[in-house]
Amino acid sequence: MTEFFQSLGMTYEWAWFVATISGILIIVLPLLLSVAMIVYADRKIWAAINLRRGPNVVGPFGLLQSFADGLKVFLQETIIPSAANKGLFLIAPIITFTVALAAWAVIPFSETAVLSNINVGLLYILAISSLGVYGVVISGWASNSKYPFFSSMRAAAQMISYEVSIGFTLITVVLMAGTFNLSDIIMAQKGHIGGIVNAYGLNPLLFPMAVVFLISAMAETARHPFDLTEAESELVAGYQTEYSSMSFALFWLGEYANILLMCALNAILFWGGWLPPIDWAPLYAVPGIIWLLLKIFVFFFIFSWVMATVPRYRYDQLMRLGWKIFLPLSLAWVVIVSGYVMIRDNGWPL
Amino acid sequence: MSVGNSLYLVAPEIILSASGLLLLLIGAWGGFKSARLVSILAVTALFASSAVALEFLLNPAFAEGGDAFFGQYRLDKFGSLTKLLIYISAIVSIIIAPRFFDNVAGGRSAVMRPEYPVLIVFAAIGMGMMVSAVDLMTLYIGLELNSLAAYVLASFLRNDERSAEAGLKYFVLGGLASGILLFGMSLLYGFTGTTNFNAINQAFESGLSTGALFGLIFVLAGMAFKISAVPFHMWTPDVYEGAPTPVTTFFATAPKVAALALTMRLAIEAFGSQIAAWQQIIIFIALASIVVGAAGAIGQTNIKRLLAYSSINNVGFILIGLAAANQAGASAMLVYLMIYVAMTLGSFVAVLDLRDADGNQVEEISSLAGLSKSRPGLAAAIAIFMFSLAGIPPLFGFWGKFLVFEAAVQADLILLAALGIAASVIGAFYYLKVIKVMYFDESADVVVKSDSKSHAVIIALCALFVSPLGYLLIPVLGNIADQAAAALFWAL
Amino acid sequence: MIQVFTFYLFAVLLIASGAFTIFSRNPVHSVLWLILAFFNAAGLMVLVGAEFIAMLLVIVYVGAVAVLFLFVVMMLDIDFAELRAGFMKNVPLGILLAIVFVMELIFGIGAYQAGKIELADTPVNPAREGATNIEAVGELLYTKYIFLFETAGIILLVAMVGAIVLTNRKRAGVRPQNVSEQVARRPEDATRNMQPEVGKGVEL
Repeated sequence: MTEFFQSLGMTYEWAWFVATISGILIIVLPLLLSVAMIVYADRKIWAAINLRRGPNVVGPFGLLQSFADGLKVFLQETIIPSAANKGLFLIAPIITFTVALAAWAVIPFSETAVLSNINVGLLYILAISSLGVYGVVISGWASNSKYPFFSSMRAAAQMISYEVSIGFTLITVVLMAGTFNLSDIIMAQKGHIGGIVNAYGLNPLLFPMAVVFLISAMAETARHPFDLTEAESELVAGYQTEYSSMSFALFWLGEYANILLMCALNAILFWGGWLPPIDWAPLYAVPGIIWLLLKIFVFFFIFSWVMATVPRYRYDQLMRLGWKIFLPLSLAWVVIVSGYVMIRDNGWPL
Repeated sequence: MSVGNSLYLVAPEIILSASGLLLLLIGAWGGFKSARLVSILAVTALFASSAVALEFLLNPAFAEGGDAFFGQYRLDKFGSLTKLLIYISAIVSIIIAPRFFDNVAGGRSAVMRPEYPVLIVFAAIGMGMMVSAVDLMTLYIGLELNSLAAYVLASFLRNDERSAEAGLKYFVLGGLASGILLFGMSLLYGFTGTTNFNAINQAFESGLSTGALFGLIFVLAGMAFKISAVPFHMWTPDVYEGAPTPVTTFFATAPKVAALALTMRLAIEAFGSQIAAWQQIIIFIALASIVVGAAGAIGQTNIKRLLAYSSINNVGFILIGLAAANQAGASAMLVYLMIYVAMTLGSFVAVLDLRDADGNQVEEISSLAGLSKSRPGLAAAIAIFMFSLAGIPPLFGFWGKFLVFEAAVQADLILLAALGIAASVIGAFYYLKVIKVMYFDESADVVVKSDSKSHAVIIALCALFVSPLGYLLIPVLGNIADQAAAALFWAL
Repeated sequence: MIQVFTFYLFAVLLIASGAFTIFSRNPVHSVLWLILAFFNAAGLMVLVGAEFIAMLLVIVYVGAVAVLFLFVVMMLDIDFAELRAGFMKNVPLGILLAIVFVMELIFGIGAYQAGKIELADTPVNPAREGATNIEAVGELLYTKYIFLFETAGIILLVAMVGAIVLTNRKRAGVRPQNVSEQVARRPEDATRNMQPEVGKGVEL
């Protein structure tokens, strides 16, 4: 894109700058739009499973419901509790929102469409997603109120716990693909199963990790059944209790952007990203981004499905699952996969 | 240098690591009940490592030693000798532990846990690395491994306020010292472009830049903390007093040997071409340690605190040998270290043997009154250790001091030697005070008889070693120490 | 151009947030400034081409260590009046430190005018041509520095053992749950389906 702007008569520096900014906008604006639509989808799926109708008043089939909600929130008064730590109280939602968007910089949407194709892409995502906890923790502390504080304590412990197993799961994929670059990881999955299926997830060696990653992703985004941080029966609305208006909306946008990111990661790491599911030439006629969006939506459907059907975990159960089951399992799997990779690359050692 | 050969040269560490991991598993599955088994196995592993170290020390095939892992670790006689001292101290610290822990709080709850011997074994690995380190990174990793285990050991009696306090103090100050050390190391690396001792030495031959000088000073300051030499000694009395007595026994011997050996190696192998840069620092530290150690001990009423000041004082004397910066000085330091380990082990085990009728530890000096009547043997042993620590002639402690001063005189540090001798007279005062309380004060009748055979054996062995009989060992010890010191000076 | 600009941006922010870490009265603010400092340090690492180290810095320090740190600090009950009360007591020490720092500053400027510092510029372990960051680190870590790497692992193990030894205690009177038993429990073990007559109630 830099060349395009240079051809308009800009110097290289300016062209680079404008190209980057427009690249960011090209990702962020559709992302925000899809967040709005995915919230609608979430409520519809949830309602359908509960045998309800869900949003159906605003616009055709209720399609504009999210925009109406957004407008309503936008017009509200911003209330800052008098005992709150003002600066941090306002910064917290911005952190959540920014961090949720920043991770998309390295997500490849098709063979060429990626904002920043860095060779530590996966580490970048891990780093950025580990920042997400700060928005929650700071908001809980800055609200100076009991329920948000409990919620932020829970969030800090929960996200750290599941980051560990996510990290190990990612390592198995990295070992298999031999790279941290997300585009290369996708290309490594091409024809992975018998030259036919483009997915790591169906490899019996990686399938358990795909499952662990899916569940950990739910815990990492504090999604049902792991939404202990905003368990309404115990903590009102958790860390969001004191928030209103746009600052509340930012949390809400950031949360869904994060969920979409995790769905995208599931698709990219284990299910072939923008590759068609089957390595068959005619399927490549469909643009890669369509495949990626389809896969993201399938995972989002799973997220909603789980939300509608599975009851919330208890906190000790959550910790038990993270530390006593996922951590040892994924740790053992790193050893197994690295052993496999060693034998695959160097032959049987004896 | 093949990896196989390297692995062979680090055999003591490998034996200890493998058995440490295995013992941890036994301890994790067996719980409290396995503490005894784990202790026995840990002692066995330490003995095995000592045997290997002894083989490396005495077998002429290893006279040359060798570099392992691309010059990060060196096997030589100096390392093997100090390792032997470290392992012996570790063995004693494990053997004396169960009695102490099982009798804590009148034996109400057994707190001897299998982690104690395991942590000592891991600390021993770290110390082994310290004395064999010829690279700043090996140095740091070994030191940290030892320190982390030590922090935990200091607060091992976690329900005891003093023990927890000791652990916290040690941890905070130790962390600070590690930071200072790392800062100095990064300066050294920045200005010499290497972390290898020899290469640093070569880089220093062409002169010492200000930055590198700062690095050297920071590194020495960090080391001074670890050997509890004077400007950095504040933690010692508190930690020694608060930590459980077997752990104090360990702290006063093994880590001190390791840190002193490491300081010697650093000063001579890494900074050997710039002796003038550090000699004054060492002289100052040595004199200050002697004076503060002696003066601080005078007012103490707790025998563990007294022994802590005594160890500060002794470190000062040992550092006089380093200030001499010659081979005789290094050899004298090693002899002194051997005697120091025996004296310290003996006196701490003797302290451990002091119990009142309820089984509580007796630590007040005033409670020792009349010990010569109730426990004449123990009183005699303590007297021997005290006289020896004071360096009073017929006992072996004198020989160490003599060698150190001789080396200082040889190096034309006559003033230092004179001041050291003068200060050792002050030091004699408080050692004699303990003896006076035991033999001449009205009986307090606090200490009761102990039935521990292992304590008796250890005390008797140490007492024999530091008694005038020890002089018979001079040819052997002197020879080994000379060879070990020569190994240190090969590069110069 | 862009590099210079980015360097100064990160460096200034790093120093400023380092200073704020020290000067903030509120420990939570201090931790947050510290996190910002880590973040900018990571930015500088990216700038010198060590992107792997940069990511590790963020993942390990920002993502894990600082969160736990914040976790603890948040729970402190801070009495700000008391914090200020200690101020006068430490003034002499503060003035002493200030004098030391001023001296250092003067010496520093003097040293700066005397010419640039001569750092050693020969890398000990030159990286293989064309190796990425991670490859270069891995090739050294698992060959030349294997001994130190493994021992560093033992250090972590000791830290873990230590934490467990010092905190894990058996509490009396606790009924730990047996998860497999809970999972194995079926509805028919716990519930009965009954058709009670009106006014009779049920027997339990």
